[in-house]
Amino acid sequence: MNVIEASQITKTYGSNGTAVHALRGVDLTVGRGEFVALIGPSGSGKSTLMAVLGCLDSPTSGRYMLDGEYVEKLSASRLARIRNEKIGFVFQSYNLLPKASILRNIELPMLYAGVSSKERRERGMELLEKVGIPDKAKALPNQLSGGQRQRVAIARALANRPALLLADEPTGALDSKTGAEVLELFGELNRQGNAVILVTHDPSIAARASRQVEIRDGLIAQPEARPHEPLAA
Amino acid sequence: MNGAFRIRLAAAWIEIRENLGRSTLQALGIMLGVASVLGGFSISDSQRRRADELFAKLGGFDKLNVMSSEAVKDGKPSALQTANLGLRFLDAEEGEDQKGSVVEAVSVTRNARSRVRSATADQERMVNGIGRDYLDLDGYTIREGRAISNEDFQRANAVAVLGDEAAKTFFPEGNAVGKTMKVGDIPVTVIGVLEERVFRFRKGQNNIFRRRNRIIAVPATLVSRRMQGDAYQRLDRVTFRVPKMEAMADFAKDLDGMLRANHRGQQDFRLDDVAARIRRQRSQGDVYNMIFMLSGVLALFGGGLVNVNIQMAALKERVREVGVKMAIGAGGKEIFKEFMTEALLLTGLGGLGGLLLGVGFSATITGVLGVPLYMAPISFVSAFLMAAVFGLLFALYPAFKASRLSPMEALRYE
Ligand SMILES: Nc1ncnc2c1ncn2[C@@H]1O[C@H](COP(=O)(O)OP(=O)(O)O)[C@@H](O)[C@H]1O
Ligand SMILES: [Mg+2]
Repeated sequence: MNVIEASQITKTYGSNGTAVHALRGVDLTVGRGEFVALIGPSGSGKSTLMAVLGCLDSPTSGRYMLDGEYVEKLSASRLARIRNEKIGFVFQSYNLLPKASILRNIELPMLYAGVSSKERRERGMELLEKVGIPDKAKALPNQLSGGQRQRVAIARALANRPALLLADEPTGALDSKTGAEVLELFGELNRQGNAVILVTHDPSIAARASRQVEIRDGLIAQPEARPHEPLAA
Repeated sequence: MNGAFRIRLAAAWIEIRENLGRSTLQALGIMLGVASVLGGFSISDSQRRRADELFAKLGGFDKLNVMSSEAVKDGKPSALQTANLGLRFLDAEEGEDQKGSVVEAVSVTRNARSRVRSATADQERMVNGIGRDYLDLDGYTIREGRAISNEDFQRANAVAVLGDEAAKTFFPEGNAVGKTMKVGDIPVTVIGVLEERVFRFRKGQNNIFRRRNRIIAVPATLVSRRMQGDAYQRLDRVTFRVPKMEAMADFAKDLDGMLRANHRGQQDFRLDDVAARIRRQRSQGDVYNMIFMLSGVLALFGGGLVNVNIQMAALKERVREVGVKMAIGAGGKEIFKEFMTEALLLTGLGGLGGLLLGVGFSATITGVLGVPLYMAPISFVSAFLMAAVFGLLFALYPAFKASRLSPMEALRYE
């Protein structure tokens, strides 16, 4: 079974006169354990697609099955549950809670899931180890370097053992060396069986993924077809 | 609850601490509201407590007074009225017998103005003819010598008990007991001197027992028989002590019926239920309590509105934080709870601060008034509860707003 089966997803912002058609009928299937790189120019709809896939936003139309469940019509609270249990987000700007310790940041998704405090602590420490910063549990986010913060964000994304990791330009704010290390971490997580979708506009990064999906003007462009076809008008 | 509340509380505490200025401002509204409510309450608590102390010193308020009053308002009294006018000792005895079980003590009074002379003083004074448990019921205590006994009363013995002032006036050299003074033309032996009585409702006020220290008490029978030659042994007042409050109303009704029958249907007496009178006065005090509470409510209301504004402004800075939390799985409910936990903590702290401030406030005011400070526990509880209600009520809207943010828009918010 696939983690993601999305068909004819559209997303329109605004209405009538000022409507922006960010997605215009996206079909996408992602299997378990796949590592998909989502590429495309700025403004092409990558973040919008990630938001829909991550249940942060509902599609305007289309069908979306996540981990065997149609989710496009679910209520806000059901979607929150699904984000909590099945999805791990990693953002370009880390999005850690600045006033909470690193460990607390990582524990937070488990807290929302109702995991006991003992187990939260144990798993939190395990995850910190896994992302390579076991000694930072008590630190605050602003005491960490960018690469370390992104590792915390990854640990947090993994907290509830999600079916899907979504990373929207996770290395965008990092220098190339730390960026490469973070990507290496994603690669390793994928080898351990996590499905990963990673947004980037860097082809060399995309090359590391098992599959590349290009998005242009809110539509999936078939990579093999792209060179022959003129840009959609 | 797997410590979720504890963690929310800890997070709320961090949030409050990190935004000290805003938090203080928010807590201040609650604080002032609580302080003013508590202040108002404790002023009336203190006054009430003072009044209780006064009544305790007056011999308690579980008393029913029967006063003689004129049945004849205008014109000449009829023969019947002339013959029967007045409250008599018989009434006191029958009244006591009537509900022997509920009456604990009874006292009678018959007063007269008279010339009173000793070796050193010669004054026109009020002479109180008393009987039975008068001294006790009126809160007097003997300092020297003894009280007027039943035997003194029955025989109309020419003996007197003097208040502190009276003793000092007529026997300035002291040792009044055993000495003789003249009441009218009757030589009377002093058998006891009373403890001085002092009560000032407020500091600096006159001693409201000043007149009680002037008492010159003799057996009521001495006044009615020997001084006034009244064959009917009429009295000015009879007082019954009925400690069982719930029995008072019935007793008063029965007594009224009995007295009317004794007095051949004439309403030449008046009943005064002391406890009921005090309750009536207290219900006026309750009006003040209401006013104080209302002004406190207004303060809390104002503070609450300010809080909504502050919180809505603060929410703008926290949209992104809400977005992040939602992205990692916090539902609207969780966000709502987190915001409400902050409000709860803020309200709690503001409320506690308000109680402290209120104590200071109350101490200052009662200090200025000169009344000893008394604060009833219930006043603390109700002032705090009011704050809690308001604090939480006004937090609902911002918390609701936060909980309804869309996660995507919140994440994009700059
Ligand atoms: N909330 C929004 N309201 C209106 N337009 C939006 C909103 N979010 C994105 N868009 C528009 O949708 C298009 C796709 O944006 P986005 O998904 O962020 O692209 P990318 O991530 O590929 O740069 C852009 O034209 C952008 O301006
Ligand atoms: Mg983007």
